[in-house]
Amino acid sequence: MLTKLAVSGLKHRWRDYLVLFSGLIMSSAIFYMFEALATNQAFLKQNTSISMVGFIFQFGSVLLTIITLVYISYANSFLLSMRKRDYGLFMLVGARKRKIGQLIWLETLLVGIIATLVGIIVGTALTAGISQLLINALGLSIHKLAAWYLPAALATLILYVGLFLLAGLFNLIALTKTPALKLLHSNDQPNRPQLKAGRQWAQIIIGLVSISIGYWAMANLGTLQLAGIGLALVTIVLGTYCLFNAIFVWLMVVLKRFAFAHRGLNGFTLSQLSFRIRNYTKMLSIVAMLFALALGAITVGMGFHRETPLMAKSSNAYDMGIVNMTKAEQSKVASLKPTEQTTYHFKTKQKTVFYRASEFNQHPYQTIKLESRNSLDATTQRLKATQLAKSQLRYQLMQLQTPAFQYTTPVFLSDAAYAKLAEPQNRLTIFVTDDVTAHLATFKQLVKSQSDRNPSIKTGVLGGRYSNYVMINGMYSGLEFMGLFLGIAFLAMLASCLMFKILSGANADQHRYQMLAKIGTTAHQQRSAIRKEIAVLFILPGIVGVIHVLFGLKMFSMLMVSSPYTGIWIPFLIFAGLYLIYYLITVNIYKRIVLQ
Amino acid sequence: MTTTPIMTVTDLHKTYGKPGTKQYEALKGIDFNVQAGEFVGIMGASGSGKTTLLNMLATLDKPTSGEVTIHQQPITHLKGNQLADFRAKEIGFIFQDFNLLETMTAFENIALPLTLQNTPTKQIKPAVEKVAGQLGIAEFLSNYPNELSGGQKQRVAAARALINEPAMLFGDEPTGALDSKSARELMDLFTTINQRQAVSILLVTHDPFSASFCQRILFIKDGQIGQELKRGTASRADFYQQILDNLGTFEQ
Repeated sequence: MLTKLAVSGLKHRWRDYLVLFSGLIMSSAIFYMFEALATNQAFLKQNTSISMVGFIFQFGSVLLTIITLVYISYANSFLLSMRKRDYGLFMLVGARKRKIGQLIWLETLLVGIIATLVGIIVGTALTAGISQLLINALGLSIHKLAAWYLPAALATLILYVGLFLLAGLFNLIALTKTPALKLLHSNDQPNRPQLKAGRQWAQIIIGLVSISIGYWAMANLGTLQLAGIGLALVTIVLGTYCLFNAIFVWLMVVLKRFAFAHRGLNGFTLSQLSFRIRNYTKMLSIVAMLFALALGAITVGMGFHRETPLMAKSSNAYDMGIVNMTKAEQSKVASLKPTEQTTYHFKTKQKTVFYRASEFNQHPYQTIKLESRNSLDATTQRLKATQLAKSQLRYQLMQLQTPAFQYTTPVFLSDAAYAKLAEPQNRLTIFVTDDVTAHLATFKQLVKSQSDRNPSIKTGVLGGRYSNYVMINGMYSGLEFMGLFLGIAFLAMLASCLMFKILSGANADQHRYQMLAKIGTTAHQQRSAIRKEIAVLFILPGIVGVIHVLFGLKMFSMLMVSSPYTGIWIPFLIFAGLYLIYYLITVNIYKRIVLQ
Repeated sequence: MTTTPIMTVTDLHKTYGKPGTKQYEALKGIDFNVQAGEFVGIMGASGSGKTTLLNMLATLDKPTSGEVTIHQQPITHLKGNQLADFRAKEIGFIFQDFNLLETMTAFENIALPLTLQNTPTKQIKPAVEKVAGQLGIAEFLSNYPNELSGGQKQRVAAARALINEPAMLFGDEPTGALDSKSARELMDLFTTINQRQAVSILLVTHDPFSASFCQRILFIKDGQIGQELKRGTASRADFYQQILDNLGTFEQ
């Protein structure tokens, strides 16, 4: 009978359960996505040579576990508040506490297990979908990535079921120790925002100090190594929370004193925010962290993506060199509309390549030189035979030679001396197009036709911008992929966190808005109040997140050649767009629930 | 009386359920007027249609047919912003469960109708303090609703209803959640407001004690006005007895 009652309660509140389930499913799906990368050692080894990445993933796992912990405790209190009345009712009609205890335990665990299992399936699908999308869209080379990875699924299941067991125990104690009547009327416990100057200042100081330690640690990762990441993680989480707690409370109380608080529903909105202040500060700090992680990961991923062609471009002045180009190859090269194309003749004898100096004097070879080690800005210079023979930069010509002679120094002979050599003459055609990445497919065909003629030619060893691009892309693809993949995962987690928190409060707001309508609030005023309230909850963590990212990017100056801050507005803009879409969705759902 | 009525109700019907399905007629043609400055009570048993009637009069629900005018303005066809403005300017509500916003202090709750109309900030504070003084809640203004007693909450609700100086004040069982002492105090307060400020009050109640503070009582039964009782010059205690007698016969 009681089970029947419980199930009927479930039917009546399907809408709330929908919010609860979708939130939990998203959360476990994302945890799985993260673990699918983090626990897959073969994938990590295969796709990056940087040992630190493995540790970064381990720290990431810890952070995500903490976030999951908070998330589940929210979800659980939502579940509890949803069921309190029902359980109170069961007690009133004489159900035994033991029986109710079993029911609570069972329900919590069931919700948890179902959500986690569905989440793992969704996570597998998401992993497959997103990785395909990224690989295809960005032309990445990724190996050993498995969408379905058992250890990741196990890790997810164990963590979630463990947490739900705890949550069930907590619910059991919380509900069976509370008298029935209190359960029936336990809807609202207002929070009077208190401004205690001393505590406020202490929080601000602790917050600022720990955040500066965190920023300092990220900037000096070179010397601190792994400890730096751990330190930054702990201090920034703590600092964010303290600052939110101190400043948010203060802001709401102070803003009420201004005249604008007495216009329209502004005062109501501020009261709404300060009423839920303590609930919100925790969630907002988490959202700020997730925001920073997502934005940071996407920025870094895009940074690597942007850097690959730039590095290729500054690696050589020419796209490719072709030895003894055929007619077919020539027409392909012509179709690329090269901005420059030169052919040098050469003869090879044992381990030496001989060129005609006169050809180089007529068409000086263009070299490229990086201005500094930490920049991709390069200067070009055309060198004649004698200059080239002396220059360190002649290796750029060597890269374009046949693979067998890539490490042999070129020798420039006078026409007479060159003619005396009995070896057969070869042609080296070098050319450059406006943008090597725009013609990747044609270049690939060119490499194929060359290696068909000469099996020693393969992509990896053939010099020039194209093969450098292929090589660098192979090196950076792993990092790029991880950055973007995790960025999307964190963004989705952030979305479900914030949405869950906001929507779980929507039911309580329903009667408030009904009341406002009764005292003469226009529908327009109500809608704008909802928009404002939710906007504040979106903007605050957004600002903090952006600041975290701006400091956090310093970490990556170690991994990137150019500054990680170049072109930063692109990922920021993309992220802002996604965030905005997500805000609009939340507002719409909220309106639908509240303004029925 | 020679004054024009502040509210007229003409042939008001309300039917629930769509045509073709099983219908239920909650109001079966209600007619009455309320004169300016009058204190009218509507009594009836549960399910008699009194709350339905109040919802129509207070623009919270729309009648199936018939018309209500307040200040000569027909109100049954108001929509959207007009409706909101009308609610904000012309009428005040007091509900059984107070309907205060627990997220705001008493001051902010009372000031809400003014801020909704974008009243200049300078005028808000004196207005709130004035009405709070009249209702004896000046010292609780910075408290949140959950820090107040039932009687105090209902006074805050009354202050919020009165701050816009409405033409009509509607009460839906305002004493329903109060103890007898608070109920008496609140009803005394209504009487004072009604007499001093000439606010017209319409009260829905099933409590004879609260009703005895009114000048005129309409008894409603099965969706129709069955009887009307006028206090005239009788004392409140006598009127109370009259109401009890009347209820005894009316409900039979």
